[in-house]
Formats: sequence, structure tokens, C-alpha cells
Amino acid sequence: MNAYSLQKGLSKDLDLFPHILAVGLRKVQNIRLTSFPVRRSDALSIYYIWEGRYDWTIDGYPYILYPSDLALILPGQSFGSSRGALDIGAFSWITLDVKEMDTDFGPWCGLSPTESRSIRKILLLNNAPIAANWKDAGKLFQQLAQELHLREIGFQARVHQLTDALLILTARQFIHQSHSQRDFPGSFMKLEQELRRNLAHTWSVEDMAALVGLGTTAFTEKVKSFTGFSPLNYLINIRISEAIKLLKQTDDNLTAISMNTGFYSSQHFSTTFRKLTGYTPSQFRKDNTEKP
Amino acid sequence: MNRQQDCILTIDLGTGAVRIFAFDLDGISIGSMKGAYPTFHREPDHSEQDPEQIFITVLYVLKNLLNELIHPAGYQVTAICFSAAMHSVLPVDKKGNPLGNAITWSDNRGKEESAGLKGTPLGKVIYDATGTPIHPMSPLIKITWMKHHDKDRFDRTARFLSLKSYIIQQLTGETIIDYSLASATGLFNIHSFKWEQSALDYAGIVADQLPDLVPVFHLTPCLRTEFQSSLGLQSHTKIIAGASDGCLATLGAGVWGEGKATITIEQSGAVRIVGKEVLIDEKQRLFNYVLTENYYVSGGPTNNGGVIFEWFTREFGSFRKAFELEDSMEGLIQEASKIPAGSDGLLFLPYLLGERAPIWNANARGVYFGLNMQHRQQHFIRATIEGILYEIYSIGKTLEEHRAIHTLSINGSFTAYPFWAQLISDIFNKPVHVKNNSDSIGLGAFLLTATEMGRYSSLGEAARKIDVPGMYSPDRNNHEVYMRYFRIFERLSSKLSDDFEEIAEWQSQ
Repeated sequence: MNAYSLQKGLSKDLDLFPHILAVGLRKVQNIRLTSFPVRRSDALSIYYIWEGRYDWTIDGYPYILYPSDLALILPGQSFGSSRGALDIGAFSWITLDVKEMDTDFGPWCGLSPTESRSIRKILLLNNAPIAANWKDAGKLFQQLAQELHLREIGFQARVHQLTDALLILTARQFIHQSHSQRDFPGSFMKLEQELRRNLAHTWSVEDMAALVGLGTTAFTEKVKSFTGFSPLNYLINIRISEAIKLLKQTDDNLTAISMNTGFYSSQHFSTTFRKLTGYTPSQFRKDNTEKP
Repeated sequence: MNRQQDCILTIDLGTGAVRIFAFDLDGISIGSMKGAYPTFHREPDHSEQDPEQIFITVLYVLKNLLNELIHPAGYQVTAICFSAAMHSVLPVDKKGNPLGNAITWSDNRGKEESAGLKGTPLGKVIYDATGTPIHPMSPLIKITWMKHHDKDRFDRTARFLSLKSYIIQQLTGETIIDYSLASATGLFNIHSFKWEQSALDYAGIVADQLPDLVPVFHLTPCLRTEFQSSLGLQSHTKIIAGASDGCLATLGAGVWGEGKATITIEQSGAVRIVGKEVLIDEKQRLFNYVLTENYYVSGGPTNNGGVIFEWFTREFGSFRKAFELEDSMEGLIQEASKIPAGSDGLLFLPYLLGERAPIWNANARGVYFGLNMQHRQQHFIRATIEGILYEIYSIGKTLEEHRAIHTLSINGSFTAYPFWAQLISDIFNKPVHVKNNSDSIGLGAFLLTATEMGRYSSLGEAARKIDVPGMYSPDRNNHEVYMRYFRIFERLSSKLSDDFEEIAEWQSQ
């Protein structure tokens, strides 16, 4: 494999792919000091190591990367070599024009809006941005380099497919890595924590299923047999029990409580609360805070 | 529609889920539903649950069961009876509102408090009086821990409830604990049926800080009117205090009277017997819980039940589909059955989670012993299952030092595998009957309720109504093989205690 480097603006080859800011394969043969300092990234980058050992800092945490490891750097995260310099070795990388993870990737991406949201969520929530010992990623980078060089018939579509594939398969790899897919109770507890940490979010079943790494049908079935509830009903349990605590322990008004616990409105909150408990929220608060 | 028929609901507040069963007055099951709630481990050794989520889950499941099964079929709920997991502690303030989460039975934060009391003369006085082994599981130890390490919450606590007390309080307004559940707190005198002063003093609390003591047949006032209307229940529906899950599982298994014992294997496990007298174990290895004034449920618990086989399956099983644990376990059991009894001399000590009865050693760890070049992967599977059951047998053997056991009734999800049932029969060299556990708890609660309603003259008569299905008979030859290895198992379990301690020390660093 040959080293190469394409940069938007500098290489005409990328004119057809406005979403690719840079792509290449780099071979480092001697160490140049301060050549790779830690700095804030304003795009999404994926690095794949072919040779050598790299001590990199991503988002403030140090990681050691070995051949066949992949690193993901998200917009806004700091990234660079822990020692400021690039060590001897070889790696591929691609930088995509993604400014934030909260909105769609852009028209270049073939993912549906729901799938895109799930994928972005997984990439964002993953706590270690490394996919270790993942040779398939190397194959994707090889194919990408080939398409960009040979420019055979259909290469434009192939490059788009390969960038999509890189994002999708990285998300999947993260899931397989964090959930062994053997321990449903364990995976479900991780999801539970995520739901609680971000209760105000409008969670969809797709979101939740993505975090466990299952399709929605299989996920719903699993949750139902494990908890006795559908995923959304289980979520309501959490929302209402958190709301009960807020009703009892704080003076927050009902609108604030409903927003904080993920209800659309205080009306929606009151109806759900009443249906489940038989009390309206204010009646419940009164009964539980004014007793001797 | 048919004339209204009466039915009884039993609500079991289990470790990870609430299960509600509906029975007609003859004890025929109408249906059941469950709802799970999480256990939080915010720090090592901590196991907590959110009382509000449990309450909401109970309401939700109750409502679904009533709306989907009971009301449409024209049943009228005559009585509701509660059972619950033992040993939970929930501090509440003056208004009865929880001060944080409940601490559940598997919480180990009181390790030092427990070690400090166990083996002292006071520890013996308290064990003899309360029947609960001195262990971090015991609410006595948990409250003492709070006194030492969570003083602010301890000082603000008006009452220390059990989770069941909290749920009943939410539903009815009454703050109670039944004798059965109280007898697992380490604070209740099982001879006088009052709170034990020496234990209260040790924990630094007074009796008023605990729920009001009531018999298991106690009827609380009716449900709060809001719930009556939202659930569609009558004001005269009886609400019965009920008992602990362990005691009711024993009743529901029909294990009543001489010569019988019950074995439960879920994630954890237990061996229990019922008697009219407290069983006195000088080495403090066994518990004595109360069902009623006339009946004590004695036995020993293990941490390392089915959870160990699940661990083994997750790590070494083959998974054809994501998360299909059941499938994978069945595959392993099939493999294990190809290996002869005794696993050709491969032995397993299953103490991955430390152990309670009979060795009561939190530092104990897992061991595979006796490996040679002939052992294959399948030997490990079989040895793992045999090890889990040797541990169960060692509890049974301890019980047999006090009472003779002639037949076993086994229940729990793992005993549903015929391979496990036969193994238990062979190891114990006793006939074995199989019963489903969650059903046993529900059935026990039903029998209690039906006895309260006068349908049976006593719990003993009620227990005799249980038919004991599925018999397994022991194979003498296998038994002899198992006993050969069990002797080594037993010796290793005690011999390794210094090494357990040292390795646990390193592992905790």
C-alpha cells in the first residue's frame, strides 16, 4: 500500500465529495517533534493503525493504539499525540465534514433519519472511542483508497457507500465491544442508566434498541420477557417514579417536573400520572407532604 | 356474564421483579403477571432499589392484571396477600417519605460491622434471640452501618422500614411488618415475638423506629379510596400482611412436617425445613425464620446458585443468537450429560460471590480442582453444575445434623432441568419432587389467605393440599461416586480459607 493524502481544496480528486475534508494513508519513518500536538477537532475523523504503536489523547483521555485498532474523533473533542509527535508506523485516516452530532450527517449520507439518529447516538455515547483489533476497518480503508485512485466506473457511488459503511460498522463494532450480546440483564442495566441520565430526551424504541445493539422487534420482545413491560411502558415507570420523587422532595412546579422527566407537557404528565396512580400530581403532592 | 366469582391476588415483591398471581378460591391459578425493577450498584458492595419505582411497578402490574384478566372475566377480588424478599431496609422521614433508596439483601457494605459483631458474646446473644445469622445481609448490620457511615441520614430517619412495609403503607396508610419478615431483620426476638432489646441497642435505635409488628394473618384497613377507584376494587377487599418469600415458598412447596426439606435454586439458593421448634446451631450456620407462632422455617442460604451457571454460560457457552442465554444453557447441559457422574475427578468450588451457609466466608472464591490431561471442555460444564449442587448438599448435610430428612421438594428455575433434578436426587441419595418456585411463593401466599378465610383449619392442613408432582429417585452408584468427591469438596472449602483471604485481599486492591 502506498502513502497518499488528499485534502479538500488542495486536491481536485475530492471535488466530487464535498463531505470528505481529508483522506489518506500516512507512513511515518522518522519522528518530528511537535508535528502532532493535541488540538480541538472541528470535524469527525476516523483513524486506523497499520503499523507501530501510537500514544494518543482523545477528548482528554490517553489511549494506546496498536495495529488493527480504530479510533474515532468527534467534532469538538481534543485530539493529538500525548507526546506531541507522531511515532514511527503507518495509519489511514478520513476526516468528514460533520460539525455536530445532534443533527443529520448531511445529504451525502444514505442513512434514514431514524437510523442516522441511532448511529449518531451510539457514536456519541460510546465511552471508549477505540475499536480494538478490528481488521475489517482496514479493508474498508483499502477499498476507499482504491476507489479514489482507480476512479473506475461507479466510483462516486462506491465512495459514498464506503463512508456510510465506515460509520455504520464503527457503530456496530462499538456495540459488540461494549455488550457481549450474551448478557441481556447487563446490557439492559446499561440502557437503564442511560435513560435515567437523560430522562428529558424523547426516547424512541429505535434509540433504545440501538443502544443494546438489537433490531426493534427483537429488542421489544426481549424487554417484554425480561421486565414484563414494553420498552416505552418501562420508560414510563422510570419517568413517573422520578416525578414522584420530585413531587415529594422539591417545590418545582408541575411544568418543570414534567419537562425534567420527559413528558411533552404538564397535561400529558397529569393524565399519565393519574391513570397510573389514581391521583393527580398536585393531590399526590399534597397528600404526601402535609401529613404529620 | 356469569355470576361474580371470588378470587385472591398474591403480590410477591421479589429481588428483581414483582409477581402478581390470581387464584380462585380452590387455589386454581387464573393467571399472573410480572414487572421488573432495577438494582443499582453505585459503589462496590452496594445494592439498592428505588422504592418509588417499585411502588409504581406494583401499581402498574396490578392494574394491568385487573384490567386484562380479572375484571373482564367477572372475578371479584376478595383478598390481597403480600410476600417479599427478606432483609431490605428503607429509611423514611417523619412524613413516611423515603430518605434515598432501599438497601437490599445482597448489599455487602456492612462487612466490617458484621465481622466486628460475629463471634463476640453479644453476637451470640443476638443470633440466639433473633435467629438471623450475623451477616451484612441482616438489617441489624445495615442500620449499624448507617449509624457509623451515614450519620446524617441515620439521624433524620424516623423509621426503618422494609420495602414491603413501604408498599403496604403507600397502598393503605398503615406502617406494619409481619412477624415472618421481621424475623429476618436480626432485630426481632423469635421466642418472645417482640423487638429484641439487645439488637436495638446495638443498632442504636428504639422500637418506635421500626414498623408495627403484626401476625402474618393481620388484616390492614382497606386500600386508600383513590386506589379503590383507580383499580376498581371494593372497599371490603381484605388486605393481608402475609410473610417472607422464603417462608411462603416452603409452605407452597407443601413441605410441612417431619422428614421433609425444600431446595430452592434461583440466582441464589436455599435449603429449608419446617419445625415447631427453633433449631439451635452452636456454630451459627443456620437461620431460623418465623412463619407463625407455631412454625419455624430453618435452613441455610447460598450466594452461588444459578447465577454461577449463568456466568459459566455467558463466558463459555456458544451463542447462536444474540442474548439467547436459555438456549445456550440447554446446549451446555446436554454436553454435560455425556460426561460420567463425578466429572472424572474434576471438582469445582462455586464460591465466585463469596459464600454464606455453611462456611459463611465472604472471601471464598471459585476453584477448579483435580484437572488432568484427560479433562475436556465438557468436564468443566458438568463439574460446574456438580459444584453448585455440592454446595447445596453441604447446607442440607448441616441441617441433617439436627433433623432427619427423608424427601426433598425442589423448586426454582434451575431445578426445572431434569438433569439438575436427577443430580440433586443422586447427590442427596433421596427422592426428589419438583415444583416451580415463583408458583410456590404465590401458592404459599394463597394458602395463607385461604387459611385466614377459614377454608383450611390450619396451615398444616393447607400444606397437605399441595400435590407433589414429578418424582426422581436416586441412583446408588452415582451417589457413591459423588460422596467420594464431596469429601474432598468439603475439605477444600475449609482448608483453603487462609488462601481465600489472601487472594480476596489482592483482588480488592
